[in-house]
Amino acid sequence: MSQDLEELGRFAEPSLLILVSLSNGPKHGYAMMAEAEEIGGMRLGPGTLYAALARLEARGLIEALPSDDRRRPYRLSALGERVLRARLDRLGGLVRIGQGRLEGAARG
Amino acid sequence: MRWLAGAILWLYPRAWRRRYGVEVADLVASRPIRVGEVVDLARGLADAWIDPQPIRSLQLAAAPTAVVPTSVPTRTPAHGVVTASIAGTVTRRSFLRRMLGAGFGVLSLEFLGGTVAFLWPPPADGIGVEHRLGTLDEIRGLWPRWTEGRPYEFRPARAFLINVPAARSMALGLEPDSTARSAADLLALWRKCPHLGCMVPAACEERGRFQCLCHQSTYNILGEKLKVGPASRGMDRFPVRIDEAGVVIIDTREIVKGPPTGTVTFHDAHPFDQGCV
Repeated sequence: MSQDLEELGRFAEPSLLILVSLSNGPKHGYAMMAEAEEIGGMRLGPGTLYAALARLEARGLIEALPSDDRRRPYRLSALGERVLRARLDRLGGLVRIGQGRLEGAARG
Repeated sequence: MRWLAGAILWLYPRAWRRRYGVEVADLVASRPIRVGEVVDLARGLADAWIDPQPIRSLQLAAAPTAVVPTSVPTRTPAHGVVTASIAGTVTRRSFLRRMLGAGFGVLSLEFLGGTVAFLWPPPADGIGVEHRLGTLDEIRGLWPRWTEGRPYEFRPARAFLINVPAARSMALGLEPDSTARSAADLLALWRKCPHLGCMVPAACEERGRFQCLCHQSTYNILGEKLKVGPASRGMDRFPVRIDEAGVVIIDTREIVKGPPTGTVTFHDAHPFDQGCV
């Protein structure tokens, strides 16, 4: 569906964290919350997490997997992987430019 | 706190709950609950109603993964999609949920209404505002007996405006020989009896005194408490002034308490220990 996370508004950042946390394999909600806090330094509440998950799923960026118990795992779809890659590329460029400028300012 | 989280979860849209309810309930149950999480759930609740996402029916990816055994990819999970549609029927559960929602709605409307009513500015007439009565001449025109010393009854402020020099003469049984010329000659008495709040009627003709009909508290023409009646002070007053244009203004935003019983600066021509008649 959509190729851009930006249109998710206040759920854009949680969504990015979710996609990153799913990039090394399927995870369920609990694990995503734990990882968001660990790698993103962001406390995701259950309401925010599932609002973001519903958006990502509706846009086809993630897929639910069958589960035996009450915890359902999700995985990155092919589309989700492309979107994440594009997003990270752009962020990477931004990081490099910003750091370069700060270095320049520190020297100059 | 946990039951609150459960209640909030219960208020999510039905389609949302079918799809995510079990997972989120499990998530909430498996972590220490905090106020912040409940607030977050409530924000998610608002989001789910305001901006509902198209909920995909659970098309599970039949993918070999480490997490899931591949032998059961087509199995419908117990909490998956409800296939039999009951659209159009009201179940007990949905009825109760709607009633609860409506109750919350009414409650919040009441809070909102009460708050607005509380913050609304006071009405433009009555107590709590400045009243412009007109010039002294205009008052005389409206109430000719003012020059005789008879109080002018100004209803919007629930006050008697006393022409003090003329009123003194009248109460002494004399012909008035002077009349109010400045604000110092004016007195605005609040008609609420300081005893229990009854409306004090117009001064009686015979003696020029005020007497409350409820318990016979009796005041002289300047609103000072006489012997008769239970009130513990004279009638309360409002500040009066005359502006540059000569208009008399009664300021009912401030209430000046009447002098305590026993303080009488003016003795009329009648016995101190009697009422009006």
